[in-house]
Amino acid sequence: MTMASFTRPFIRVAAAVMLSLSAAGCANTPDGQDGAGISDPIEPVNRIIFGFNDAADTILLRPAAEVYVAVAPDPVREAVHSFIRNLVSPLVIANNLLQGDLEGAQVATGRMLTNTILGVGGLFDVASVAGMKDEEEDFGQTLGVWGLGSGPYVVLPLFGPSSVRDATGLAVDTVADPLRVWAYANDSKNVLYVRTGVSAIDRRSQVLKQVDDLKRNSLDYYAAVRSLYAQQRRAQINDNKTDAAPEFPVFGN
Amino acid sequence: MVPGAVFAQSTDPGASAFIQKLGDQTIATFADKSLSREQAVERFRALLHTGFDVPYIGRWVLGRYWNQASPAEQAEYQKLFERLIVDTYANRFVDYSGQTFKIAGTRPEAGDDTTVTTQIIRPDGPPINADWRVRKAGSGYKIIDVAVEGVSMGLTQRQEFASVIQGGGGQVAALIQALRQKVGRS
Repeated sequence: MTMASFTRPFIRVAAAVMLSLSAAGCANTPDGQDGAGISDPIEPVNRIIFGFNDAADTILLRPAAEVYVAVAPDPVREAVHSFIRNLVSPLVIANNLLQGDLEGAQVATGRMLTNTILGVGGLFDVASVAGMKDEEEDFGQTLGVWGLGSGPYVVLPLFGPSSVRDATGLAVDTVADPLRVWAYANDSKNVLYVRTGVSAIDRRSQVLKQVDDLKRNSLDYYAAVRSLYAQQRRAQINDNKTDAAPEFPVFGN
Repeated sequence: MVPGAVFAQSTDPGASAFIQKLGDQTIATFADKSLSREQAVERFRALLHTGFDVPYIGRWVLGRYWNQASPAEQAEYQKLFERLIVDTYANRFVDYSGQTFKIAGTRPEAGDDTTVTTQIIRPDGPPINADWRVRKAGSGYKIIDVAVEGVSMGLTQRQEFASVIQGGGGQVAALIQALRQKVGRS
């Protein structure tokens, strides 16, 4: 705690200086607060890609996730989820460290060791039962913690909602992914394809209801997803410590 | 850290009691299997109006476009918005019945508002954090926003509605048309 609060501002300042030199062009669009807030200069293109992703989801991913939920019993799906999460835990640890969040890095390290050893190679999430919470950390969030604004919203083919900052983060995480490094070194890229597929179905299966709900209840599905994404990323970057809630004025009539 | 030092204002205990009661009533409504879906939705509509300041939320969601709308548009918008909210939340609560919740804490907000933080306990996954922004209304309370895992429902709708209006040439009429199509049936 004391260590973390000491190092964090220092790392932030150093990182902010570095980034302001290298990435001055694309930074610092404020994440949207009011109605028109989210920067989306290539909206027409984004909408086309979004439509394509949505079609791929409707035809392929959603049905696959539904079958998965119907066929695989809860414990099996939990094991798959834990296993996949455990595989990326080195990235979670690294990003916590890069964010200067030593507490987070400690928890993530504890999780990896506990689940790998006691949880039989990551199949059982023993750590969560022991109160070590699984936080998602990625390099996009790290850039955010370093003070980089999200930049314009972009919809990536198949990967879905992102931003200039988060797409950069995704590229860095992909290259740094230990499993990928291992697979390339051992000429077993098939492992990666399997992981990608399983991971996509796992993720999709966890939000079946939520996505259906959003589609059914929104007037502009694209805009609703864009808003959700921007807010969710902001909350993740702050590790759910709410900061900038929108203002709720008193309306006089 | 000195305990309590973080809170400049004291939190309002009435706000969390209000959320607790409203939550219990809502769960009871949807757990009551003797009610048909229509009856449950009707009862939920009543609860919604007890619990939420729907006109406030509607106006807030419209944001800067509120002043741009004519009085007639404002009135129709509010009527349609109310129907949208009832549909949306009723569907949500029916889908998510079987869940329970617990109050995690309260946090004072600007003005006299209080945010009541809750955890929704699900049988099939980790708990979800839901924050209810509560405003004092006369002798009681009203909810003016809900944030689920840091995502504000009001802000999401505001940004969505703004997009519809912008897509319709900046006219509030475009939003009203879209709302009519969405909730106009029956």
